[in-house]
Amino acid sequence: MRNVLAILSTLLVLAASAARAETIVITVNGMVCAFCATGIEKSFKKQTAVAAIKVDLESKKVTAQTKPDVLLADDVVTKLITDAGYAVVDIVRQP
Amino acid sequence: MKSVRRIFSQIMVVALVLAGLTAARVIAKPISYVGGTMIMQENDETGYTLTVDHTLTPKVAIGFYGKKEIHGDKFTVGGPQVNTLVRRWNLPDGQGNIFTMTGVGVAQRNGAGPNNTQFAAWTSLLADYETRRIFTSYELRLMYAQHIEKSAWQRARVGFAPYLGNYDDLNTWIMLQVDHYPAKSRATSITPLIRLFYKSFLAEGGVNTRGEVLFNWVQQF
Repeated sequence: MRNVLAILSTLLVLAASAARAETIVITVNGMVCAFCATGIEKSFKKQTAVAAIKVDLESKKVTAQTKPDVLLADDVVTKLITDAGYAVVDIVRQP
Repeated sequence: MKSVRRIFSQIMVVALVLAGLTAARVIAKPISYVGGTMIMQENDETGYTLTVDHTLTPKVAIGFYGKKEIHGDKFTVGGPQVNTLVRRWNLPDGQGNIFTMTGVGVAQRNGAGPNNTQFAAWTSLLADYETRRIFTSYELRLMYAQHIEKSAWQRARVGFAPYLGNYDDLNTWIMLQVDHYPAKSRATSITPLIRLFYKSFLAEGGVNTRGEVLFNWVQQF
């Protein structure tokens, strides 16, 4: 009975996390020009996993909101930023 | 040869008209983001320039460069161009770059004559550094078009932002541009200008110390 409960609770947790959208906060170096940084917004918007994107030069952060049930992996995030000409300092994920 | 000349003239006319009757050097970075396309267009006392670039990798873009030269010997030059990012420094509060732009094509002098259509080649070196507050750049361009043009040109720019615009704001820059054309009669040109940009559209305008108008624009797609 204890095993069944453990499996059920694990499945519930997995289902809940899979259905949850995620906020990815990326700290970026070199992002000083709004005109040049439009490439970041355009690249992220082409991703089917991305629901919304915000670029903030003041905090040097790019914030991407993912759609539920879709994963945007760190390596994809890093490639999008580097393909736009910038350097990733860190990536923080928030539920 | 006449038909080649005619076709080349037609292509150049169409390209320049499509650009809004414009001329080209670099007013924005010649490499944008992978998959991005950029149209850059310049109009000043030297002529009308059009550059269209498509970025293939973070370090390479290909495109077209064309210019209708009206300063001194009047001619039109155009052809494919490759832009490369030689080095980039992504810093917490700044970015520095070194680019090259190199192309080959055809130059055509106005009027009829035995040497009026010639092979042309050009190359540029562009270095820039900017923060959210200051901007500096230097560009050296060499043009070779056999009997039509053999020249060097250099440009330096300094600028500052009177306020710190964020990504969704209209950004404003006050700049001073100095051009030096050793081969031309009016070798030096000094132009104060204002640059405005919002999201993926940039425009700038100014008047040089001789009263000649400069107007440039860039659109990213």
